[in-house]
Amino acid sequence: MEDESLDSSLHILRSEYEGTREVYRKRRNEMPEAQVKMNVREAGDRASIIDVQGELTAFAEAVLMDAYSQASDGQVRAIILNFENLEYMNSSGIGLLVTLLIRINREKQRLLTYGLSEHYRSIFQITRLDDAIAIHDSEEEAVSAANSA
Amino acid sequence: MTEKPPNDETTEKREPRDAAYWASYAETLKVSGVAEGATNINVEGRRAVGPLQGFGKMWQKTYRVGLTGAETTPVEVIKTWKENYQEFWPEGNRFYAPLAGIAPGEVALISGSLPGGVKLSTGVMVLYADDESFSLMTPEGHPFSGWITFSSFEEEGNTVAQAQVLMRANDPLYEMGLRMGGHKMENEMWRETLENLATHFGVSEPVETNIVCVDPKLQWSQYRNIWHNAGIRSAIHSVTAPLRWRRNRPS
Repeated sequence: MEDESLDSSLHILRSEYEGTREVYRKRRNEMPEAQVKMNVREAGDRASIIDVQGELTAFAEAVLMDAYSQASDGQVRAIILNFENLEYMNSSGIGLLVTLLIRINREKQRLLTYGLSEHYRSIFQITRLDDAIAIHDSEEEAVSAANSA
Repeated sequence: MTEKPPNDETTEKREPRDAAYWASYAETLKVSGVAEGATNINVEGRRAVGPLQGFGKMWQKTYRVGLTGAETTPVEVIKTWKENYQEFWPEGNRFYAPLAGIAPGEVALISGSLPGGVKLSTGVMVLYADDESFSLMTPEGHPFSGWITFSSFEEEGNTVAQAQVLMRANDPLYEMGLRMGGHKMENEMWRETLENLATHFGVSEPVETNIVCVDPKLQWSQYRNIWHNAGIRSAIHSVTAPLRWRRNRPS
């Protein structure tokens, strides 16, 4: 009985996940092409890294949310954004990070970053994103922080 | 899951392309000049606050209008919007544009009204401004904590103008006010603003509104924001005006 209920819950979760991915895939096709690539990597058992390469603007929404869905599989408790190859960000890009943060908090995960240049660190400070997103100097430091808590 | 991509070393050495578009960091806001009729009681010395620092539910509100048939470009729309910001606002609210115009880091003063007719003196900081968009960020004490991004872009052969607000009510009192008519007032204000902008370009199209509750949680840790409430402070400032007048008149 319990197994059946667990199977049914898993089935619902899987359908919701596929549904969300499909929505983002569809929206990505409708939006002007995003000038950004995101690569998802594992970092230990409980963390995933999203390498952000290119421009973070409103057009990156579908790519970012898709990357988050991939990164968030399994037992992941922390998402690390690697900004070493961030080339451009406007205020809509900052807005995207806020909505991503809310989504991550809702899943009881943590959001960490590394690779921010001085310029982008300063933007995190102006927008007060640094109040809620931990900024680290290197991947090792971020992964260690993500896996230690 | 894949391997880490190689670092693009050229990007590390280049000046970021967006460097000129962002405000520089400052601990608190500084107003460079107070225009006649403006009141600078709730802006100078306040910190700018984003949607993460507010108290209420987080909302993303998008208002957009298609400038169908208008022979204009996104760059022209944003240039016009920046130069005539006050003219597109509905009556009853006043935006005192900074002397240097809408440019990164500049601070503008605002006088408006809250539900119930309470007069409000507040302001905004220009957080970001490029040729196709600009964003305003609110100070502590403003009815909401967050930013408003104005942008224009091409969509299906038409130029579209858009205002997007990402916000939380700043404190419990404002949250109550927003629920009791404040949201409606705000939606109406941005709808009218976009209609006025469209009219400027000779277009009469309906404004589309899309409202999403991004986070339904209240941030009780931020309840102390009420200390800076610009509505309360503006009301006290008005009530005590005769006392200041008596104190300052020549004897």
